[in-house]
Order: sequence, then C-alpha cells, then structure tokens
Amino acid sequence: MKKALITAAVLALGLPAFAQQQQQEAKPLVPGREALAIPYEKYTLPNGMEVLLAQDKKLPVVAVNVWYHVGAYHEQPGRTGFAHLFEHMMFQGSKHVPDDVHIAMLEQLGANDLNGTTNFDRTNYFETVPTNHLATALWLESDRMGFLLDALDEKKLRTQQEVVKNERRQGVETRPYGLALEKLWKALFPAPHPYHGKVIGSMEDLDAANVEDVKGFFRKWYAPSNATLAVVGDFDPKEARALIEKYFGTLPGGPKPEKPTVAPVKHTAEKVIRHDETVGTLPQVMMAWLTPPYFSEEDATADVLANALGTGKSSRLYKRLVLEKGLAQSVIAAQQSLGAQSVFFIEAVARPGVSSDALAKEIDAVLEEVRRGGITQQELDRARTRFETQMLAGLQSVGGFGGKADVLQSYNHYTGDPGYLDEDLGRYDSVTTERVRDFARDFLQSDARVVLHAVPTQKGPISAAKETH
Amino acid sequence: MRRLFIALSVLALAAGCKTAPEPVPEAPKPPETPAPPPEDPNAFRQQPPKPGEPPELVLPRFEQAKLDNGLTVLVSTRKELPLVYTGVAFASGGSQDPKGKWGLADVTYKMLLEGAAGKDTTALDQAFQDLGVSPAVSVNPDGAFIGARVLKRHADAALALLSDVVRKPNLAQKDFDRRKKLQLAELVRAMGSPGFLAQQAYLDAVFGAEHPYGHPVSGLPATVDTLTLQDVKSFYGKSVGPKAAALVMTGDVTLDEAVGLAKKYFGDWKGNALPPPVPPTPAATPRQQVVFVPKPGLDQTMIVVGRPGIAVGHSDEYALDLATTVFGGFFGSRLNMNLREDKGYSYGAGASADARLGVGPLTASSAVRKDVTGLALNEFFGEMKGIQERPITEKELAAAREGLIRAIPGEFESVEGLGSSAASLFFLRRPMDEYARTVTGLEKATPAEVQRVAEAYLGPAAMQVVLVGDPAVIQEQVGPMNLGKLVAKEPVAPPAKK
Repeated sequence: MKKALITAAVLALGLPAFAQQQQQEAKPLVPGREALAIPYEKYTLPNGMEVLLAQDKKLPVVAVNVWYHVGAYHEQPGRTGFAHLFEHMMFQGSKHVPDDVHIAMLEQLGANDLNGTTNFDRTNYFETVPTNHLATALWLESDRMGFLLDALDEKKLRTQQEVVKNERRQGVETRPYGLALEKLWKALFPAPHPYHGKVIGSMEDLDAANVEDVKGFFRKWYAPSNATLAVVGDFDPKEARALIEKYFGTLPGGPKPEKPTVAPVKHTAEKVIRHDETVGTLPQVMMAWLTPPYFSEEDATADVLANALGTGKSSRLYKRLVLEKGLAQSVIAAQQSLGAQSVFFIEAVARPGVSSDALAKEIDAVLEEVRRGGITQQELDRARTRFETQMLAGLQSVGGFGGKADVLQSYNHYTGDPGYLDEDLGRYDSVTTERVRDFARDFLQSDARVVLHAVPTQKGPISAAKETH
Repeated sequence: MRRLFIALSVLALAAGCKTAPEPVPEAPKPPETPAPPPEDPNAFRQQPPKPGEPPELVLPRFEQAKLDNGLTVLVSTRKELPLVYTGVAFASGGSQDPKGKWGLADVTYKMLLEGAAGKDTTALDQAFQDLGVSPAVSVNPDGAFIGARVLKRHADAALALLSDVVRKPNLAQKDFDRRKKLQLAELVRAMGSPGFLAQQAYLDAVFGAEHPYGHPVSGLPATVDTLTLQDVKSFYGKSVGPKAAALVMTGDVTLDEAVGLAKKYFGDWKGNALPPPVPPTPAATPRQQVVFVPKPGLDQTMIVVGRPGIAVGHSDEYALDLATTVFGGFFGSRLNMNLREDKGYSYGAGASADARLGVGPLTASSAVRKDVTGLALNEFFGEMKGIQERPITEKELAAAREGLIRAIPGEFESVEGLGSSAASLFFLRRPMDEYARTVTGLEKATPAEVQRVAEAYLGPAAMQVVLVGDPAVIQEQVGPMNLGKLVAKEPVAPPAKK
C-alpha cells in the first residue's frame, strides 16, 4: 500500500498565534478531466478551526457545511448511539438561538439540503441558503459550536431520546432485515470495538444517556479545533472571510482532541449466524469481510470488484443468481469505506421458495471465479467510466448529501488534503484486472467472513407464497 | 407544482425544539457598588444578522419543441459541467392499468429494459454500462420515465440505445416470465414493509378500487398473476408512441441539438398512441370507518390520514400548498412540532397535497411508538380541528410563502433533477413557465383564501384513517376513540400455487 491512509490521528495542534493561510489553486487534472477540478482555499483560524472556501456561481445559493471529526467511533462503552443522539441536541437551540428557531428559520428563508448526519467516523451539519443569508447560516452554526451548553436542559434531552428511539424503531426494529443487519455488524466488529452494532446505538444505551454525557461530549469533541467549516457556492470570498472571522474566529480555542486508537479486528474462522426474521418476508443472506480502510488502494480495488459483481443486470451476481438460476430477487455488492476498517458486503434476497443456503452456495461459486480469474478489462473500464460520471455528478450540488462541500470535507477529513480528488481518481486508474483477482483472493476468503442467514418466521397469508415456486 | 422537502432519511435528522429552555444559571451577583457592567463581547450574537438584498429568483428554464410525428422534445440547458441527462417520458402510467390487471403499466415499462433491437437483457445492460450507467425506469400513476445521466461525450450513444429500448423492445416470452416472477416476489417482499401495506390500504380507502388512482402502481399479487405477454404487448401498442411521449434532455445540450438528435433517433417513429383521459374526480365522503392492517408485534404503528385533494392547475392549488406547508409540510410545521418535538411520539410527521393530473391524495402520516397509537392519532385530529380553532397566523403564512418561493432556485442544481421535473411537466401537461406561475400563485394567495382552503381540505370529517400495526394495540387504543368502525384488512396474500 504505497499511499497510506492519513487519518485524523494527529495529536493536538495547540493554538497557533495567527491564522495559517494556504492559498491554493485547483490542481491541474489529467486532460479530459478538467471539469472535475474544484478550486478551493483552505486556512485555519487561531482557535484551530479549519475553513474551506470554494466558489461556484452557478446559482444564487451558498452551502454552509460543518464537519466535526467525531462519530460513533469515538463513543464510550455503554453509550452506543451517543454521537448521533448528540447530533439531535445540536438542533435544540443555543445561547443566542431560541429553542425552536434553528430549522424553522432556515426553512422560511428558503434553505435546501438542510440536515445533520452522523456516521461511524464523523458528524456533519449543513444547509444551502440563498446568497443573502450566508451570515444567518454562519450565525446559527457558530452559536451551537460555541454556546450549546448554555441552553441545554434535561427535558430537551429526554424528548430527543424518545425521537431517536423512534428513529431506531423505524430504521431497525420495523424495517425488513433491520435487526439482522445489526447482528451482522456486531459479529463483524466484536465489542468493545466502536463499530460494534449500528450508529444509532442500542435502546438501553440511548436511555442511559444523561445531561453530563452531553456536556462532556461537547467539551471534548465539539471544540473549534475539531471542526472544519466549508462554504461553497456563490459568495464573495472577502466578505465570507470577514463573516467567518466575526462568528467563528471569536470562539475560544482548545486543544484538538486525540483520536482513540483501536486495535484492528481480524477474523480467522468463518462465523455463520442464523437469524429469525420477523419483519421481512423472504429469506436473505448477507456476507461481510473486513477490508482496508477508506482511500487505501485496495479500497478502490474493492469498489471496482463490487461494481463488477453487483451493479447492473449484466453484473456477475445478478446474471447468475437472478437471470440464469432464478434463485434471487435482488443482489447487492458494495465496499462500505470506513476510516478504521472497511467492510466488503454482499447481500441477496431469495425468491419465494428458495433457501438462503442455496443463495450462499451460488455466491460462493461466483466468488471462486473471481478469486481464480479476476475480472475482464471491459468490466474494469465500465466501472471506471461509471465512477467518473458519478464523481462529476456529485459536483452538481454545492451542498447536501455528497455535494461539493461534502467532497472537499471528506478528502480533508480522511487525508488532510481537500484537493485529494486527483489522487483519488488515481487510485482507480491504477486498478488492474490482476489486482482485482488478488483482492478477491487475499481479502474475500471464506474463513475470514461473517455470514448471516435471515430466515422469515412469519406464518399466515405470506407463508403461502413459499409454495408458489 | 413543487418538489417537497422530505427530511426523513436514516440517521439523518432535522430537528428543532418547542420546549422552553430552563433558565440559564445566573452568574454570582455583582458587588453592591455599582460598576459599569462588563461589555459582553458576544452581544452581537443576540440578534440574527440582517440579510442583504435577496438575489434574483432564478427559476429553471424549460424549452419545448415538437417533431412532425408528434414527439415532444423538452430541454433545460445547464452548461457548467459536461453532463447530460437523457430520457423518454410516457404519458400513460399506473392509472391506465386495465381492471383486474393492476401492475401492467409497471411491468410493461420494466420490460423495455429486458432487451431491445435484438440485444438480450445482458447485452443491453452491457451497452449501457459501456457508457457508465444503468438506466432507471420509474412508473407513477400519471406516467413513466426511462432515462440515464451520462457524460456529454456519451449522450449520442445513450440516446441511440434509448431509442432502441423505446421503439424496438424485444418483449420476449422468456424475459416476460422472469420479469413477472420478479414482480410477484417483489410484492411478497413489499408485504414485509409497513409503509407499503399502509399505502395499499390507503389508496383503496381514499379512491376506492374502481378509481384509476385506487391501487398501487406495482399491482397486487392476484392482479400481477393474471398478466400475460399479450397484455404487455397490447399496453405497449396502446400507450407508447410519439404523440404520447417526450424526449427529455437536460444539462450540457441546447434545444437545437436536442431536436437534431430527436430527429435522428425518433424522427421516423410512427404510432397513434395518445395521452389518456384525465382520471375522474373522486368524491370526498365522510369517514365511516377506520381501516387497519394487522402486523402482530410491530413496535410502531403507521398512521396515514387523508382524502382526495386537488388536481394540478386547480384554482386552490397554491393556497392549499401554503396551508399544508403550515399544517405539516415543513419540519417546523404544526404537526411535526407537536408529534415529534413536543411529544416525542415519532421520528417525524408530515403532510402534503399530491396534485396529480387528476385529483390526487392529500395525506398526513407518521410512524409512532405503538403504546401511543391512540394519543398520537388524537393529536392528528387535534391539529386538523386546530386549523379552525387556531387559524393560520400571518407569521406562519409568511414563513411558508417565503420559504417555498425562495427555495425554488436551489432545488434545481442537478441535470437529473431538471430531467425529472421536465418529465413531470409532460405528465401533468403543464406549460413551460410553470415555475413562474407557481411563484405568482404563491405570492398572490391571500390569508383569507389560505384559511378557507385549509378549513375546506383539512377538516377532520372527510379524513380517511388507515393504520398498520399490532391489532391488539389498535383495538385497545383506537377502538374507544369513536372515529368510526374498526375494520381489519389483511395483507393481500399472493396467489396460491397453480
């Protein structure tokens, strides 16, 4: 692995005496890819907060997007789901922003792409506003970064605990295969690994959270030195810098918190789980392997393999399991890229009357083919064209999920370089069909995986379906 | 017509809070001797910043042309990135399913991607994959849309393939048999989803099974089971043709270029299919019953409340849009702030008026913790009555009006978004300046109109109620509420083995 993943595992930076400025032009990209360039500048405020600015004048809107470099990975044992519960608390008002104002104010001024999200590695908050409301968005974001605890109370926390538990019921307990997927993740990352379970956490831990936890988490992880602000869209850079200085530059600094180190997990024997599925109506099989982290070379190789296996009707798994054998209803293959260790994931849902074991057997046959022969050059080319198109499409939106602000933030978070796009594309350029074969052979071994069979227990009208095939 | 802001995705949150803060602990009292109070360096944060002059309200621009054979060409040019979305919109959707053949439109359009111009399913997919894409098909009650987003350099090739798909589908028996099996199994899978179960029962409750909008586009197991390849061929022949279709191109392409490509690939397309008639207006009848779909042991109850709303172009359209936004459209709306932020019953509650080609449904819904099913339903009714008891305030109306109008420019950042909006304009038979009309309509709706429309459409009496959840919980909590007779509706079983 020649380009090691640079994580945020850097120690506290302390307080620089003055802002570090790195004026940057977009790096020249290889011919034909000029459209992918994102001109941006990056600088750091004296309190340690990083700022990314990128102009895009396509529409009179501007995205404000804050990443806090904390996710479920940083939670304490017994407090699963806390990073995400905390995210909810960030919308509950702060010293100068009344309780029910944050979202309502943004909605009524015409904001789009307004949300907050938490994953294993980071938490982000974003809104895209008409250009004349940039200051409003910065006012809102800075107040909760600096003054959240002034407005915190027990009742707000209790309400959000209920809201999040409902979110869990909706996304896990009452969703087909929701509990099965959680079981798989628990087996993949045994406790106390922080990726154990799902980001949303357990009901017990959500109930156990208290106001002191909120305070402690805020003080430790929500310091400006652990945050990066991106402003992307139609704005005047000079004016934006002045506003950022006014609203964020005056927040007190603090040391950058140290990222916990966690020993990597290695599986040396296959683990098979059988789950009684009470919501989903068809048998499902899921297989998962631990793979190298986000932005490693193998991570790109895994993306290419996943595409060849499961994207489109001519992909290997769809062709074999759905078209030719008629065993599966759907297939998914994906590399879920994560900061500590990634997960390569295959899922197939059976047709009525087909067992999950029959699916697993067929998936194994397809895997054995790629372990021996890799993929074709055509399959590799197709994957590259698809990724390039997706990458370009991701730059259409200044904000929101996966828009330009998120792209800069993601590179910055995982590699320290917001302009990593060229290197990122380079990872895909360097994938070869042999490398895909080697990846399948080295990482997707049968004795290094977790397999989960979700078998419906449901009786009644649905079970009649099992006889139709 | 506008696209709704939908805030509910997994682990994604938008929040706010209605509860008043506890008093902030006071600092120790200053000494007796009056000293000038220290200046709070953060005093400037007390007030939200004053916004500058609003920017120009940039609306999406759509252009239209027509070929001699009747094919509509719809274009929205956006040159910033070398991307083109290209697709074909069809004027007949799920509402045109023949009686007893629900799901036919859905299966027919999906069959177009199962092979065309002699290429089988795999070869066709590979041809698209060479362009870096897998085309998507979406079928809704008023139309269907097949399209793909590609790099500009692949636009011509993508259109050539789409032309094959639309004009020369194989419609082979073997592919049909597989597609039908997949559709049936998909319905078995959908039976596990509380949302699907609710939708199916809800459409039936609001429109009735006879109405073109009274069934899910996917069909039901028993109706899909009756479909034959002949049905597909006949639906295709009747529904797909240049007079009932539009070529949609958005992104790095001009109207002239699009018309050139349209002539090249569709100029000699013949066919007499015509857009279907507008579905009839259903009656909004007083609620007689509460329908529930039993899912024993379910941790949440899905609540869906609604009635027939309006069709696009109706004179109440914009006033109703504003009323439903205040009621349940925004995160900060009455319904969501009550059920989520005040009571903590749910992850979210919302309402929307789906203005279709014909009268579409006006719906409010939420998934709530099962032990508060009755309490939550009571709050739904409280908020509906509240529209009359606590009329929409000037402040609420101004927020909705400004929010809806000012959000429009930012809603059109992507070529695929422009593409699906163009397809909607075609399905709903709207003029190219629809968004300018929307802005005018939202600006002109008076407070009296909005209040009148809110009372007319959001009153509780004609609201049908559908629940999905644990039957014992529903009987116990909803039974005593006097909302109507509780009627259980079992999930529809797939057809028995032949």
